[in-house]
Amino acid sequence: MGDLRHPTGGSVDNRRAVKAASDEWTFHVDHLVKHFGTVAANDGITLQIEPGEVYGLLGPNGAGKSTLVKQTIGLLKPTSGRITLGRWDLVENPDAARQLCSYLPQAQMPIESFRLREAIELAGRIRGADIGRVRRRTDELIEALELGEWSRTLGARLSGGVKRLVGFCMATISPGHLVILDEPTNDVDPLRRRLLWNEIRALGAHGSSVLLVTHNVLEAEKAVDRLALIASGRLVAEGTPSSLKAADRAQLRLQVMLVPGAETPAQPGWAGPPVRVGNNLVTTIAESDAPAGITWAASLIDSGVAEEYALGASTLEDAYIRLTSDIPADGLHGDE
Amino acid sequence: MATSDAAGLILPFGTVQRGLRRSLRDYVSMVRWHLAGLRIWLMLLGSVQALSGVGFVLGISLFFRHIPTSAALFVSTGVPVINLVMVGLVFGPQLVASQRTAGSYEYLRTLPISRAVTAAAWYTVCLISGIPAVVVSLVVAQLRYDLPLHISLMIVPAILLTCLTGTMLGYALGHAVGNPMVTQLVSQMLVFIIFGFAPILYPIQQMPGWLGDLNWWFPFRHMAVVIRAALTSSADPAVPTAYAVIGVWAVVAAALAGWSLGRRP
Repeated sequence: MGDLRHPTGGSVDNRRAVKAASDEWTFHVDHLVKHFGTVAANDGITLQIEPGEVYGLLGPNGAGKSTLVKQTIGLLKPTSGRITLGRWDLVENPDAARQLCSYLPQAQMPIESFRLREAIELAGRIRGADIGRVRRRTDELIEALELGEWSRTLGARLSGGVKRLVGFCMATISPGHLVILDEPTNDVDPLRRRLLWNEIRALGAHGSSVLLVTHNVLEAEKAVDRLALIASGRLVAEGTPSSLKAADRAQLRLQVMLVPGAETPAQPGWAGPPVRVGNNLVTTIAESDAPAGITWAASLIDSGVAEEYALGASTLEDAYIRLTSDIPADGLHGDE
Repeated sequence: MATSDAAGLILPFGTVQRGLRRSLRDYVSMVRWHLAGLRIWLMLLGSVQALSGVGFVLGISLFFRHIPTSAALFVSTGVPVINLVMVGLVFGPQLVASQRTAGSYEYLRTLPISRAVTAAAWYTVCLISGIPAVVVSLVVAQLRYDLPLHISLMIVPAILLTCLTGTMLGYALGHAVGNPMVTQLVSQMLVFIIFGFAPILYPIQQMPGWLGDLNWWFPFRHMAVVIRAALTSSADPAVPTAYAVIGVWAVVAAALAGWSLGRRP
């Protein structure tokens, strides 16, 4: 089997050449089907991620996101369909998949007995990088994510958020051509979360394809180049965050915080279908209906049904809810 | 906002490499991974192993007013088998079960290391944790009973194969059984069987005939035969057969472990 060593020179000059050459590393998922018994966890998913692209994979629990990831990294075998990275068929070559892809799972890494720095360096060595490169990159990651104060702390004594960041460092110490990150920001504090997104963007900027699995729609909106929404094993929408929000353009999001225990108030005819989560009632209205919306929400407060309201631009979350709660039979595409 | 790209270290580094050089480097990395990951437990395990070995060696004398040398020799040359198989056969599958429960098992399966190298690294860790206990048990036995030990070079293959079979059996159990609770139960049962119903620390003649015959099909009796023969330089005619049976178990267990690790449902 040939050695496909990628040019890894460090200068800015040859980085452009690397970027150009990296086009050979496009990630393709082609009509992927995975059945568990009679249940189709993936039902004909097709998508493509270009080198350098940060691609979000969003969807409700049980939508089939993890199944797709596990087939990519060689933990599950597809019922049918293909997964390729460059010229490598990852289904036929699971050992190549493990070498070419980096993976941060949703569960915490097993680092209880490792010191923080040691865990990252060992992960780098296991990924095949030489010791000098591993040490320099570890220094960079620890500095970039502000982890220095725990550098020699045992994993068992680290908080969940710091452990999560260590996991990210372990997965990206020597990033593969495809970096798969499953909920990377879980448990991470807001400050370091921002630093983490910078690092994720940097991975893409230097040529890795990043497949980002997340529930955090609002964060994903700012961080990804494109995203796919998956529901019931099918890709129901794909495109840039802007293109997916296009249907909600000229729409506003009206959010009403109901008094605990209050019944959902009757919805005015000019408002979109309501979504209630706990005491939080969200609906969309046309910009021209903003005055009526404010009047309606204020009347709810006056009558003691609601405590407060907010009116703002619609977000990707609105598109997410719309698309995943009302799935058309033949799918829906944003800018394809 | 600074990101970590000063020296281009972030450039994608995936390569598909195979071959002996890569395997050797991976082997060293995985041994370091295991040793670092178990650093707290390994010391404890080694100590418990040594203490239990010494406990058997010294405890047997409490059964007799004057312990016959032959009995002391039999027990003392059986204890190394327990020292050598316990980590791989019992602690190994329990470790895998805990990784499954914690959710880290799948991550470990996605590391870019071949199954054979991963298994070899774990086998090395089992040897590292078992051999000091063997030495301590034998030294204490020698000091206490002044035994007629004549250790031959055959101790090397005997130790290596005994530990390998125990490790591979535990490896197969840990990886082939998906339910962590079942793994825990079976590994506990193995402790019970090894201590109570395998002729390791006592002669097979002490057992009912049918149980002795049944034991022929399992590796533990044969492990005791090869270790004892190597420690006493005795020409036991059962040794070649014993090596064959242990070897078959090692191969079958390794194949089962390899199959279950490579399986993609």
